[in-house]
Amino acid sequence: MQPQFTSQGIVLCLLLGLALSGALFVARLYAVLSQGAKPRRRRGPAERCHLAVFLGSGGHTSEALSLLSALDFSRYSPRTYFISEGDTLSMRKALELEAAKAADASKSGLSHPAAKAPYSFVVIPRARRVHQSLLTTPVTAAVSLCAAIWHITIAPLLSRSSAPEVLLLNGPGTCFVLCIAAYLNRILGLQSPRLIYVESFARVRQLSLSGKLLRPIVDRFVVQWPKLLEDGKRGEFRGWVI
Amino acid sequence: MHAFVTVGSTRFDALVHKALSPPFLDVLRAKGYRSIDVQCGNSDFDPSSFDLPAPDHWHRTHDGLDVNVWRFKPSLKDDYERADLIVSHAGSGTIIDVLRLGKPLIVVPNPTLLDNHQEELSDALAGLGHLKSSTVADLPQAIEKLDPSKLVPFPQFDGSRFRELLDDEMGYVDHDHARKNGR
Repeated sequence: MQPQFTSQGIVLCLLLGLALSGALFVARLYAVLSQGAKPRRRRGPAERCHLAVFLGSGGHTSEALSLLSALDFSRYSPRTYFISEGDTLSMRKALELEAAKAADASKSGLSHPAAKAPYSFVVIPRARRVHQSLLTTPVTAAVSLCAAIWHITIAPLLSRSSAPEVLLLNGPGTCFVLCIAAYLNRILGLQSPRLIYVESFARVRQLSLSGKLLRPIVDRFVVQWPKLLEDGKRGEFRGWVI
Repeated sequence: MHAFVTVGSTRFDALVHKALSPPFLDVLRAKGYRSIDVQCGNSDFDPSSFDLPAPDHWHRTHDGLDVNVWRFKPSLKDDYERADLIVSHAGSGTIIDVLRLGKPLIVVPNPTLLDNHQEELSDALAGLGHLKSSTVADLPQAIEKLDPSKLVPFPQFDGSRFRELLDDEMGYVDHDHARKNGR
């Protein structure tokens, strides 16, 4: 007897398939969320690590660059600076830090002064501008997310250049879309940067909105005042890091 | 002695107005100050009693005290270094820069800001003795009472904390440390 495919049968199959793929996605998301990034591997002291940082303008940029100034730039190389559209001041400050680090390195004979420092800038459209209406925010946020997915998920697949292995974040809003892109990599089983969030020195008793949003999903959550950890949720305090 | 009042990139009319008021300037004069610079940013003030020696630079003397007002400079570092006392809005960047230079600092949080977490920071640092926090109204008394020798020195930048955290997260083993611990 020939099986009869009725329209109800097709709809049923479609629904079943949809439910199945939905369940798989949720299971994958759950697995990714509960594991975090892949377990870290040991690195030799001379091995390099591709570092990315989001410069969120103003005080966010100052604190992020202060954190970076602590690092060995020959180890954390190359470096990718994510900046918001139109934020030339953050770019200028990052260039100042790169110049200062290069001057230090050539003084101590570690690098040739003419050698091109391995860093680049990537511009991300803002997820939400200051005073932007809530009505249009989903549109700008979607554009911002697409840019983040392009740079974190798709571009590394298409090019031979390395992808960031760690992404340093300290707010505000736009850094959230970079996190979502990194999670997309994890769901798809691609290499994802480890996510490190450092809450601002100015946050003493209450986390910022970015801090609250990112606390459950980043790999390391660092605060600079111990009171912020009194709720017993995750995070670490190592004194002032900036 | 020289005092420096700064509002950074913000607008803080009340602080600028107070810093240019005769009672405030009298207190400075009595404490031995000979000059004051006010970096007023986007604040409004009444320039009618001032000369204008340069565009966006106002000047007058008050009972032998040199008063200069201007809006912005690319960097305020030289102004912090020149000053014996700094009065500032509660911006965290300004606070760190000034305290790391070892300068006495009085912070005045801006009460008109809605999300005023900056007041949390100035309260916490005042609690640790690194600076004094004041309202606009109490500023003259705060300057009168200030004893810079009683302020607790602010720690210098310690890059090792974040460097160790990141090296650990990225799998760089601290070899010296590992050897010392017999691992």
